[in-house]
Amino acid sequence: MAHTDRHTSDPILETDGLTKRFGGLVAVDDVDFRLAPGELRCLIGPNGAGKSTFFKMLAGRHTPTEGTITFKGEDITDTLPHERIRRGMSIKFQDVSVYPELTVMENLQIPLQRDRDRAPEQRVDELLERISLREKRTVIADELSHGEQQWLEIAMTISLDPDLLLLDEPTAGMTIDETDETVDLIQSLTAEGMAVIVVEHDINFVRQIAEWITVLHNGSVFTEGTVEEIETDEDVQRIYLGEE
Amino acid sequence: MALIESLLNVLSVVVSSFGTLLLASLGLAIIFGMMGIINLAHGEFIMVGAYGAAIANQQGLPLPISMIVGGIFAGVVGLITERLVIQHLYDRPIDSMVATWGISIILTKVVLVVFGPNFPGIGTPFGSIRYGGFSASIYRPVLAVAAIGLLLVTYYLFMNTEFGLHARATIQDADTARSMGIDTSRVYAITFVLGSVLAGLAGSLFAPIATISPNLGSSYIIEAFVTVIVGGANVLLGTPASSTLLSLISGGGSQWGGTLLGRVLLLVAAILMIRIQPRGLSSYLTNR
Amino acid sequence: MSRVSSLLGAFEGQHTIGGSRRFWVGFCLAVLLVLFYPFVAGLFSVIQMTVFLIWIFVALSLTLIWGYTGIFSFGQNAFFGIGGYLFAIVGGNLIEITGATNVALLVAILAPALFAALLGYFMFYGRVSGVYVAIITLSVTLILELITSSTTGVTVGSVNLGGYNGINTVPNLTLGYGETAFSFGPVPMYYLVVVLLVSLYLGLRYVLNGHTGYVLIAIREDEARTEMFGYDIRWLKLQAFTAAAAIAGLGGALYTAWGNFISPPVMGILAAALPLIWVTVGGRQTLLGAILGAFVLQYLDTTLATSVNSDYAVIILGVIFVVSILLLPNGVIPQIMTYLNDRATDDDYDEQNAQEPGTPATIGGDED
Repeated sequence: MAHTDRHTSDPILETDGLTKRFGGLVAVDDVDFRLAPGELRCLIGPNGAGKSTFFKMLAGRHTPTEGTITFKGEDITDTLPHERIRRGMSIKFQDVSVYPELTVMENLQIPLQRDRDRAPEQRVDELLERISLREKRTVIADELSHGEQQWLEIAMTISLDPDLLLLDEPTAGMTIDETDETVDLIQSLTAEGMAVIVVEHDINFVRQIAEWITVLHNGSVFTEGTVEEIETDEDVQRIYLGEE
Repeated sequence: MALIESLLNVLSVVVSSFGTLLLASLGLAIIFGMMGIINLAHGEFIMVGAYGAAIANQQGLPLPISMIVGGIFAGVVGLITERLVIQHLYDRPIDSMVATWGISIILTKVVLVVFGPNFPGIGTPFGSIRYGGFSASIYRPVLAVAAIGLLLVTYYLFMNTEFGLHARATIQDADTARSMGIDTSRVYAITFVLGSVLAGLAGSLFAPIATISPNLGSSYIIEAFVTVIVGGANVLLGTPASSTLLSLISGGGSQWGGTLLGRVLLLVAAILMIRIQPRGLSSYLTNR
Repeated sequence: MSRVSSLLGAFEGQHTIGGSRRFWVGFCLAVLLVLFYPFVAGLFSVIQMTVFLIWIFVALSLTLIWGYTGIFSFGQNAFFGIGGYLFAIVGGNLIEITGATNVALLVAILAPALFAALLGYFMFYGRVSGVYVAIITLSVTLILELITSSTTGVTVGSVNLGGYNGINTVPNLTLGYGETAFSFGPVPMYYLVVVLLVSLYLGLRYVLNGHTGYVLIAIREDEARTEMFGYDIRWLKLQAFTAAAAIAGLGGALYTAWGNFISPPVMGILAAALPLIWVTVGGRQTLLGAILGAFVLQYLDTTLATSVNSDYAVIILGVIFVVSILLLPNGVIPQIMTYLNDRATDDDYDEQNAQEPGTPATIGGDED
């Protein structure tokens, strides 16, 4: 299968026995996860499956109780969040967080200015073009529509040219048209070689975009497969309906 | 014999400190712990209570009644403060802190202008006990007992009454509470007034042993705050726990180097505690 | 003119008030008035004005750390006090040897910065934030007040710390060496403070309108998100905190040199509240707001204190304070600027309409 072929190269991201316990609650349970460079993975699962906690551990917001995380061949389990970003990871969490009082352009300048004095105009324009917000460059971020704010934040996260992009429900609250445009955007990113993990609930979105899907349930990996396999898997349907 | 006397001394200082800290922080614990409002006028509510009690006492009312008057007096000031200022600032915690500081300044100076720099005090009731060279006022342990008593009353109020239920619901999730028909604005007002009354009662109880002056509040505010923060969100367990811990530290310190060292050590301990566990002792005691 | 405009451009931006020619002309006029003041005012007024300006250093330091970076610190008075006390101690001792206070001034700026670096490391690298920073910095300030109050009879070298009464044998600021050292009397002190304050203001404008300004504001607006772009926010907050402390420390040294005096109450609860009040009323997110707030309120306080009663003065200030938080959460100066901007836009709009009735109306470009 095409998928296993990709795994002959070194994975860009790998977790080994990753576990997170909060007191008595096991949020993430012994998860082994491998992602190839340039691969697009969808992470799905019913509410409470541990997807967001998993993401937060990848980002460094939560410390794993057990297990390791390896990024580009290096153990980052104890690495600080900002360090991980510098190594080529980029994250967009669930609730949209742009800088509401700054303009669209200023928002983009924040990540772009990190290692230099001023953000290059050209790069800003490129990104604005990509998310179709070029005409709105001087609009205050707060005044954008919800979908536009999501795109702005995605643009901010990709502005640093990450090798790995983590997106937690990027199309939450978007219209169908906006969702389709987001599909195009993400596909163009993978085409450029960016590895992407997307957490999503929207089955249409997943259907359009997914190459390989990982299903989480009760904190552990329930199953993996292509879109067709997962859609026709009765066990997956059951866990979504709450029978397991 | 000298050893026993020293130990008794330390014990009495610690008990006295415990009572003071718990009493001073109880009202603030309610307001901050349950509402997240950083009321920097808390010290002045204590002061207002002390004045209320002193004035009532001066008018001839018996001491217990005077103390209740002090509490009510502070409650009224609290109500006015909440309705005029605080209720507009619930979603702006830093601004509410800053605004209550302004109120604290206003209250201090208004009392100074109206009553002057000093006010006749109330005599300390109950006398003292002696053991060899050791003597201590009985009133101070009584304060500690009163503090615990008030804590239990407050606990009962929040756990076993309808108001308490509404208050806890509102504090957990105001939107849901509102959608269930709870008048959250009223809940906040009553909770704030409750905290003010507790502060006022603390002031009344302090009145017999404190110098009654407009600056009385400043002696209690920072210690009260620190006790609340070190205690954490759980008022019933955290506040007495931190009162105990901090009174041991400050009591020990003052035995060794005077009141000054006691205060400094208390603040240093609080700083360290905040750094180690910002959520306070509550998080150790309630396993969260 | 265009070279001047491009030079001024570095001092202009969205993060500070004013960027039009009108503003800079007004600014220059204000500075000239201030420089001219000693020629028209009596000595006492000049001395009074100097201390108003000195306290503005603390206001600016608070604006930097709180207004721009979003860290609510009660500690600026602590750094002010450390700067003041060290100037007194080092200056008092060294002046007999070197005849000057050069080292004292340097120590008064660096020591608070070092202390802030340590405290900042303790807090920010320990992920302490929000109200906890406020409580810790307030505690530190009060601890210092307690400690300095208990130094009765303690001497460091030839300087007696004086306990609650403080040190009142502080030499003038004296720069230079030996016989040629210049001792700053009241009027030279005034001019020095003006020059330092203007330089500080311009320096902050430059820094805050550039890359640093964006970073600090990003931290203020959404610390977690900024961290997730790869910024080490602990280190950045530490830097801002240290810089603000150095500014406050400089203020402390100038204050001590000005009055030849320093005592514990500058680190007390009331003194710590004042810069907070000035900056909140004036507008904490702008430098100009902090400066004007600090100046006007001090002036008001002093005028009321002498004409009415110092206690009434405080009550009035307290009321102004509370009212402004309720009604003008961003401060008075930003509110005025918004009003002026709206009016300017309206004027331009009307002007355009009046001149060219046939063409489609366009909103005149706002100058600010």
